[in-house]
Amino acid sequence: MIEKDTALKVLGTLNSGGASFSEIYIQKSISNSLKLEDSRVENSNSGYDMGCGLRVWIGDSTYYAYVDSIEEKKLIEAAKILSAAGKSSTTGKIFDLNRDLRQAPSAYKANILKKPSITGAIEKKDILMAVDRVCREYDKHIIQVTVSLSDIEEKVYTANSYGEESFQEVVKVFLSVNAVARKDSDMRTGYKSLAKTGGYEAVSISKACGIAEEASRIAVAMLDAVDAPMGSLPVVIGPAFGGVIFHEACGHGLEADSVIKDASVFKGEEGKKIASDIVTAIDDPSMPNHWGSFKFDGEGYPSSPVTLIKEGVLESFIYDMRASKKLEKERTSNGRRQSFRHIPIPRMTNTYIARGNEKPEDLIKSVKKGIFAKEFAGGQVDPATGDFVFGISEGYIIESGKLGKPIKGATLIGNGPDILKKIEAIADDLDFAPGFCGKQGQSIANEVGQPTIKVSEITVGGTGGK
Amino acid sequence: MAENSKIEIKIEELERICGETAAKIPPGSTDQWEIFAARSLENEIDVFNGGIETLSFSDSTGIGIRVFKDGSIGYAYTAVLEEDAIRDTVKKALDNSKITKKDKLNYLPTKKDHKYNKNQVDKKLLFDRGYLEVSITEKIEMAKELETLTKKADRRVSGVTNVMYSDGISEVAILNSNGFSDSYNTTMALVYVNAISRKDGDASTGDYFGIARNPSDIGLAEIAAKAAERSVSVLGGKKINSQSLDIVLDPMVAAQFMAVIASTLNADSVQKGKSLFKNSTGKKIFDIEADIFDDGTLPGGLASRPFDGEGVIKGKTAVFEKGILKTYLYDAYTARKDKTLSTGNATRASYRSTPSVGTSNFYIRPGSHTPEDIIRSVSKGFYVMDIIGLGSGTNPISGQMSVGAKGLLIEKGKLSSPVKEVTIATDILSFLKSFKMIGSDLKFVPAGGYLGSPTVLVENISISGK
Repeated sequence: MIEKDTALKVLGTLNSGGASFSEIYIQKSISNSLKLEDSRVENSNSGYDMGCGLRVWIGDSTYYAYVDSIEEKKLIEAAKILSAAGKSSTTGKIFDLNRDLRQAPSAYKANILKKPSITGAIEKKDILMAVDRVCREYDKHIIQVTVSLSDIEEKVYTANSYGEESFQEVVKVFLSVNAVARKDSDMRTGYKSLAKTGGYEAVSISKACGIAEEASRIAVAMLDAVDAPMGSLPVVIGPAFGGVIFHEACGHGLEADSVIKDASVFKGEEGKKIASDIVTAIDDPSMPNHWGSFKFDGEGYPSSPVTLIKEGVLESFIYDMRASKKLEKERTSNGRRQSFRHIPIPRMTNTYIARGNEKPEDLIKSVKKGIFAKEFAGGQVDPATGDFVFGISEGYIIESGKLGKPIKGATLIGNGPDILKKIEAIADDLDFAPGFCGKQGQSIANEVGQPTIKVSEITVGGTGGK
Repeated sequence: MAENSKIEIKIEELERICGETAAKIPPGSTDQWEIFAARSLENEIDVFNGGIETLSFSDSTGIGIRVFKDGSIGYAYTAVLEEDAIRDTVKKALDNSKITKKDKLNYLPTKKDHKYNKNQVDKKLLFDRGYLEVSITEKIEMAKELETLTKKADRRVSGVTNVMYSDGISEVAILNSNGFSDSYNTTMALVYVNAISRKDGDASTGDYFGIARNPSDIGLAEIAAKAAERSVSVLGGKKINSQSLDIVLDPMVAAQFMAVIASTLNADSVQKGKSLFKNSTGKKIFDIEADIFDDGTLPGGLASRPFDGEGVIKGKTAVFEKGILKTYLYDAYTARKDKTLSTGNATRASYRSTPSVGTSNFYIRPGSHTPEDIIRSVSKGFYVMDIIGLGSGTNPISGQMSVGAKGLLIEKGKLSSPVKEVTIATDILSFLKSFKMIGSDLKFVPAGGYLGSPTVLVENISISGK
């Protein structure tokens, strides 16, 4: 995307202020988004981004800047300002850049058959219209359908003063459906999304219609919902999006930047038992075509899986380059960033609880009085205290081992280290769900996953009494 | 991060870019067009243990092009302002207009759409020249000092997980084929700190912030004291039994709920049947005589602007008056649909997105009760100091609200023991109906708009815990 000579020149300029590390991150992207509501395409938007993020380490500090250009002159100009930033504070050694940049090998392989650029606007519009039709035909109570479809095609190049270089082409497609059902004055919603790292082959009309039906089913089912219960209860958490519980209860606390700042409840717990024996959890950006997958992370490091928890024992935190150096640990491919406008920080990718041996229906059978949480609206955590929440968007009462009435949306609240030990059973129906995760103002593609699990007790934030 | 003497004001350049872009639209290819150009200059400083952790800066400009052709709208944006890229973007916008639905109400705003006819915002007040007088070194010192002050504020404070200084200049110009041509620029500075305190194995976090047009107007001592107090006062918090209690919402908490209320009053949601306030103007929603305003002209309001995202003059709109719903919030299109006038609420997140209905300074008018009066009036209640999971726990369409909360019990009019890991749950209509007292201590938070509320007392809300 830029000449090797240019890359070396810019890195050299960045290093001239006494930096211990310098890096360039170049990104060129074309994105499109369409939105349908009221059965019509309201919005069709396209955008063109191109730019370079420049980063240096001077002493313990990171300095970052970006330019909306990849012209050598502009990059050198920005590099000069950046290298001057730390000049007064330190005089480090200047790296020898008289060597070739070398591309790190990545094992990630995935076919992209149908790029957005060769997929016509009419074809995209047909997907939206089909989703709308399926939803509205599903049930007469469906009164509104919002469909969003977006795609991005980009090229990313990184080079740093260690002589590491990477290049990748990224294609992503995201489709979401929100169906609204109304009966008398009650309104309920059903949400589903389909998102892949790959082309439109993954978002065919038939697959799109599948999630349309699912979103409608949820909205209509929730019309009969009763108030969610209050108090601490056993909860069976469904597969796929249910993985949001691990993402919040544990995942964020394993991001090593929190550990460095003494702002993680899991600090100092490596090698120790933090979850029940049946829990094994993995973060894996190398699974082909998953929403949180990539060939290289945001710092050009080849993607590879990391076992976070093995049979209840904390095996590893997740690192970016800076955190791995600071904590003297092996780097993992978790240095991620939203775009060239953002610094990389440790982030999850596709994070999931591994498959267990039990049958999902047996988990429900084992509960006398509790709830089954099937679909979710996301969650949030305070990693320093481990206190976390996640919102149920589709749930049911369990009575004497049987599913009962649907319950209205409610938040579940718990403390991460506490809840991990209360995972009593794990089923064999592992599945994944895509979404976006926000941290420090950066939103990135993330996938969560799990089989059906049972938590012995967690506080359910309803209004319906005990 | 350029030293401030070197900061260029680029308003005129933006106006020039608008003109040059317009010249690239082929004559006859559109019925109407609009060019939105925006520049943002940003600095962010994160400090950890007395040193700079990250210092980043950026200065970028982009344009968004909206075209109208036969009643259809197309949109495209670019951050690359080279001649070819702009030409491409114009073409993309035209292409996009070919797949969106035709609607005879789709056209650029004219004076006839304006509810407010006189600009009441002094542009000079939006851009504080004093901003330019504060050097980057002084800004770094502010962040360092805030960290030190927070650590010293209480002996139980064990650290600061996050301390950040950020600021920026934002400049906007709009040019359209109806002859609208105007621009403005704003300055803003924000500091934020999150303190963590520990005692007997328990950890608790508390955050606070300050925001102003000029960094010199931010008082660090108060921010440090508040963050420390919010952290230590809930230290050792316990889960309480599930029950219904009167709750007193701290202004920071109440202001966050204002975002949920605002989203139900968006005319776009109302017209699409997605708001529980459909057909509700003229109805009494609150039991008490609460007033809520959306005021795009509020002096000192960080969301004040002379005109909105499509050039319509901003004003002060009473959304609720004496507890009665008076109006929804409109942009030009939704206003035409309801045969009314635009309240100037077309907002744009950036040049990347088309204008859509949003809020400006959206707040509840303060009452006469001091927060102490309100607490004193409660015999048994829960003083809510922080909430978690607002996004995943509230559904503005169904109206359900269920969020995690922490704070202090109120017993016989006095604040008593700390509470954590509980939820508060209700639905939007019951919530508003249950407002009983409104405090005098109006506080704004920058959370997707500029939202304000004083302390409020809400009666009889479900708390779920043990």
